[in-house]
Amino acid sequence: MKQPAVPCVFAVYAHLDAVVRGIHALREAGEKEFQVFSPVPHHDILHAIGGKPSPVRVYTLAGGLLGLAIGWGITIGPLGNFGLHVGGKPLLSIPPFGVVAYITTILFGALATLLGMIINTRLPQVNLSAGYDERVSSDHFGIQVRCAPVRMEAMVRLLKRTGAVDVRRAGV
Amino acid sequence: MDYKLSYTDADIDLMQTMRPAKRGYWFLLGFLFLLVLMGAGAWWAQIQTGMGLAGKNSPVGWAMYITTFVFWVGIAHSGTLISAILFLVRVRWRAAVYRSAEAVTVFGLMTAGLFPFIHLGRVWVAHWILPFPNFGGLWPNFRSPLAWDVLAITTYLTVSSTFFIVGMLPDLAVIRDRVKGWRKKVYGFLSQGWQGTDMQWKHYTAAYVFLAALATPLVISVHSIVSWDFAMSIVPGWHSTIFAPYFVAGAIHSGLAMVVLLLIPMRKAFRIERYITMHHLESLARFIIFTALVVGFAYAVEFFIAWYSGARFEKAIFLYRMMGDYAWAFWLLITTNVAAPMLFWFKRIRTSIPWLVVICICVEIGMWLERFVIIVTSLAHDFLPSAWGLYKPTPIDTMIVIGSFAWFFFLFMIFVKVLPAVSMWEVKEQLPPPGRGGAR
Repeated sequence: MKQPAVPCVFAVYAHLDAVVRGIHALREAGEKEFQVFSPVPHHDILHAIGGKPSPVRVYTLAGGLLGLAIGWGITIGPLGNFGLHVGGKPLLSIPPFGVVAYITTILFGALATLLGMIINTRLPQVNLSAGYDERVSSDHFGIQVRCAPVRMEAMVRLLKRTGAVDVRRAGV
Repeated sequence: MDYKLSYTDADIDLMQTMRPAKRGYWFLLGFLFLLVLMGAGAWWAQIQTGMGLAGKNSPVGWAMYITTFVFWVGIAHSGTLISAILFLVRVRWRAAVYRSAEAVTVFGLMTAGLFPFIHLGRVWVAHWILPFPNFGGLWPNFRSPLAWDVLAITTYLTVSSTFFIVGMLPDLAVIRDRVKGWRKKVYGFLSQGWQGTDMQWKHYTAAYVFLAALATPLVISVHSIVSWDFAMSIVPGWHSTIFAPYFVAGAIHSGLAMVVLLLIPMRKAFRIERYITMHHLESLARFIIFTALVVGFAYAVEFFIAWYSGARFEKAIFLYRMMGDYAWAFWLLITTNVAAPMLFWFKRIRTSIPWLVVICICVEIGMWLERFVIIVTSLAHDFLPSAWGLYKPTPIDTMIVIGSFAWFFFLFMIFVKVLPAVSMWEVKEQLPPPGRGGAR
């Protein structure tokens, strides 16, 4: 995959505590334009970064409610057009229609969750982040800091001081 | 699992499954493909000639196809149980086995989904069951459990496939970053640009929890709805309130056995015994003891209700099951489903690979026979003696059923070669993160 030209510094860390130290150092320095890469989700990293909870749950709730409405809609809605008594049950049969609504709630809840994840994780991405290092998907951690070329030297020094094993400039 | 392994060990070891296949693999895959072709050919012959080839008759209008449909939906259940429910309750041993269990779910449903079409006869009008506006004045009868079943199975396949694919994204990125050439392009496309950023993990883990939470009620509801295909009718032996929990327990019982049967050769062939350990297999065997007891209890309750209720037709059908034309199948299912798994109480047996294989095969045979006995005996011997009849399998329906087994294993064998069969990122989550320390 291609890597776009965005001026940044990419630091690779071998240890979890070092990358957490790097995050704290960046926050203390007032940096906001950075992202952290890790092979697995780590509470230490997410805690160090802070931020609000994921809005994916809102998508799940909205999708579930939409599914619930669709379930009742497809069963009750067409009764006027398909008014055929079958199996001795009334036209408006709540228990069996409830089964349908239950299923569609789950179906649309799951689809909306997927949509929420896709939107918020910004997938699919055609290009990988500038300076992306393949080690970070396996057994290393990474921090990418966006900064102007004139500030890069200072940024490299800061990241090395926090324990980065490899720091490179990208997108310049 | 060996919790002293490193992240690098996990990546290297678990990608072993995707190394170029040896001759034995291709031979087995080719053999399965031939069996799939045989099943497809039999189905084609049935479409050309008519449903008479399938041995179904009046009164036994549901036979091998619906038996096998229920069997495969059941097989699918353990995957969601292991991947979703054990995830929500944070069971650590799940990490190494859940991906294969999820594959069992997806492929089990893909196999089960064929049978309503095969059973339908006029497969070209299958879309009539779907709720879409059309000029034919058709709309599904949502009061019928068969319409619920279509929705339930479709939803289950959609949700479990979503969970399966989403769960694989981080691993596909690992593979993308470790391979070269055309494979890099393929896995680059499949991983959709996943990079494991903090933002991605935050939303991903949130979505994963919600997908697990949404998949969990499906474990209960899908097989309950399948059971209502029977229980909502008034046929003796079917019209029972215990059918839903009874079917769910049976589904998990057969699914767990299938997971064990697939994990045993997989861990040996790909040398991943350090990840899928005897502890995993033993945990699954213990689970099978529990499901066998639940299933056994359900069998006993069915007979108790038939006797204690005083309902003559119920009593007659259960006596027929025990002593009638299909008594051999009934006693065989009791032996294989309930008695055989009791051997797992002995540690020596549940930690022995040959015993695990034999008992799990017994459970699969037993669970298929259970559905066969429920379906065929009740239809063969209902209220009117003048309407009684028997069903005998024919070469066509037997070939289709054998073909369905081949189709399932064929899909699974392709899966283990092209996709990560053990979740790398979740296994790594269980391991200590790369060593503490670093320069200051």
